[in-house]
Amino acid sequence: MNIGTWKQTPGLAWRNLWRNRRRTLITVSMIAFGFALAVVSIGLGDGGHNAMIRNAIRMGDGHLTVQPRGYLTSPANYRFLHAGGEVLAQVQGAGLAGRVAPRVSLQLLASSATNAIGVALQGIQPGRDPLHDVLGDSLVDGDWLEPGDHRGLLIGESLSRKLDADVGNKVVLMAGGRDGQTISQLGRVRGIFRTGLDELDGYVLLSDLALARQFLYAEGATPEAAPLTRIAVFLDDAEALPAAKTALADAVTAREAVVLDWQEMMPQLVSFIVVDDVGNYIWLVFILVMVAFGILNTILMSVLERTREFGLLRALGVSPAQLLTLVLLETIQLAIVALVAGWLLALGGHAYFAIKGLDLSAMGEEMLMTSGAMMDPILRTELSAGRVTSLTLLVFVTTLLAGIYPAFRAARVSPVAALHE
Amino acid sequence: MALVQTDGLTKRYKQGDVDVYALRDVSLDFEVGEFSALVGPSGSGKTTLLNLIGGLDEPTRGKILLDGQDLVGMSERDRSQYRLHKVGFIFQAYNLVPVLSALENVEFIMVLQGRPQSEYRQRAMDYLARVGLADLAHRRPKALSGGQQQRVAVARALAAGPRLVLADEPTANLDSESASDLLELMARMNQEDGVTFIFSTHDQRVMAKARRIITLKDGQVHDIRSGTEPLHLD
Repeated sequence: MNIGTWKQTPGLAWRNLWRNRRRTLITVSMIAFGFALAVVSIGLGDGGHNAMIRNAIRMGDGHLTVQPRGYLTSPANYRFLHAGGEVLAQVQGAGLAGRVAPRVSLQLLASSATNAIGVALQGIQPGRDPLHDVLGDSLVDGDWLEPGDHRGLLIGESLSRKLDADVGNKVVLMAGGRDGQTISQLGRVRGIFRTGLDELDGYVLLSDLALARQFLYAEGATPEAAPLTRIAVFLDDAEALPAAKTALADAVTAREAVVLDWQEMMPQLVSFIVVDDVGNYIWLVFILVMVAFGILNTILMSVLERTREFGLLRALGVSPAQLLTLVLLETIQLAIVALVAGWLLALGGHAYFAIKGLDLSAMGEEMLMTSGAMMDPILRTELSAGRVTSLTLLVFVTTLLAGIYPAFRAARVSPVAALHE
Repeated sequence: MALVQTDGLTKRYKQGDVDVYALRDVSLDFEVGEFSALVGPSGSGKTTLLNLIGGLDEPTRGKILLDGQDLVGMSERDRSQYRLHKVGFIFQAYNLVPVLSALENVEFIMVLQGRPQSEYRQRAMDYLARVGLADLAHRRPKALSGGQQQRVAVARALAAGPRLVLADEPTANLDSESASDLLELMARMNQEDGVTFIFSTHDQRVMAKARRIITLKDGQVHDIRSGTEPLHLD
């Protein structure tokens, strides 16, 4: 082709596109709406998933966890980092941007005057552990734990009811130790929290590290080594996870310790997100099929209506390849116009759902808790540049592919047959 | 040497199991600057002959030479180039690209030929002026009458500088006055530019203007006479 033709063909394609203005506008609207729907749907899906991940990390053991080998598959009170202090120093020495939370996690029996219940005790640093940010606003009675309070306990509201233990009451914590002995520690309720999640409110107690460590000493730990069950690392920038994991793995040389990321710690959450994404992809395929057939119908009808005109163009010297290019250009221009319109609609939808969100609180707590992670009651869209770029390209390529058959149809027009229709 | 030479030109179609001969052993020469008409009843092969000479179709047998160049056996691409540079077409109707203005329609072939904008723009305006439509250069076909559209088609065909113009019943859809005006125009262009015109027609006015009338019947040449002799159709 020569330069003159290159200048002319896109302009000719553009004019052809608007010959039947109504049909083109309907097709553009259909594609734009479908695209916007896909973007908002993906945004809500990603927003929900990201919220679940953030909540799971916040309320769990961070972006990265350093814990004993084998603990993930077989958690037990007797599995802990014997040289907890040394491992903690190695973690802090890795120079990661974020917060480090040493913890002791135990399965115990909590008993009061009226009841005894299996509980999970989380020993933390009261003034510094991120759990304070998560649970701090959930206190319904009493106070948060103070640093140095080696007997204080924070318990959930429903656990408080089960044990009939209010602020100021005693609770005895018991566990079996090495050699079959029973270890017990006395705690006093300092505060009661209510998160709305029975998995926390009915089961978890928080205490100072010192109280929890007493049970580890009964398992053979030495106080000087500052034993820990795990060290949770909360990164300031979640995107830095891969590099942070590598740096942490290099820094932690203790053979008893292993570095895990949140995906390894919460595989059921990862699986849920993957399965949920499949549902989104099926929806996306449906939208793409709709787009493809819409384009095919419009462009093919346009080609069939212009059979004689194509015959004329061929007679004048336009080659089959040039006709093919003309129709493909019409398809490309249609795709661009539709995607621009779709983007405007999608941005509007995204803005609405990003600010106002979708209120899911009526679904109730059970529906909001999935695979051990909590969805936010207000679902907001989150769009990543990568996802949206991929979707745009996907719609564009689908449109182009849908235009191939009509383009070939146009190129194969026989000038003799077409002119004498 | 004649501009166009056909030798034993035959075109056969299959209609079911039956062979239909649209043309059978047609051998004709057309000289440079001729103004000739192909006449005959419907189905006599007029349009088929034009299509073959114009490179729109391929013969079953025979030769077609234009300026010594053999069209038979050319690739599709080469035939497109042949039509682009050597042949102009004027059809009975729907000659123009509807989304282009009159000026752009006249420029169309020259743009495809790769001429620079300064050249094709000037030539297009000149030819539009020659056909009397310079004032309507920016109108689209739907805003032009049938006669005006045919004039634009004439301008387009000639502006591209072809060796040969093939006109398939160009006056068939026009009223008397428009048809006469168009015919006068083409005759004038033929004399001024020396371009060969070959018409397929039923129109007596075209026959009256033609300097040679070739009568086809059942796909064969039935009669050849000069434009001043009376027409006989048996």
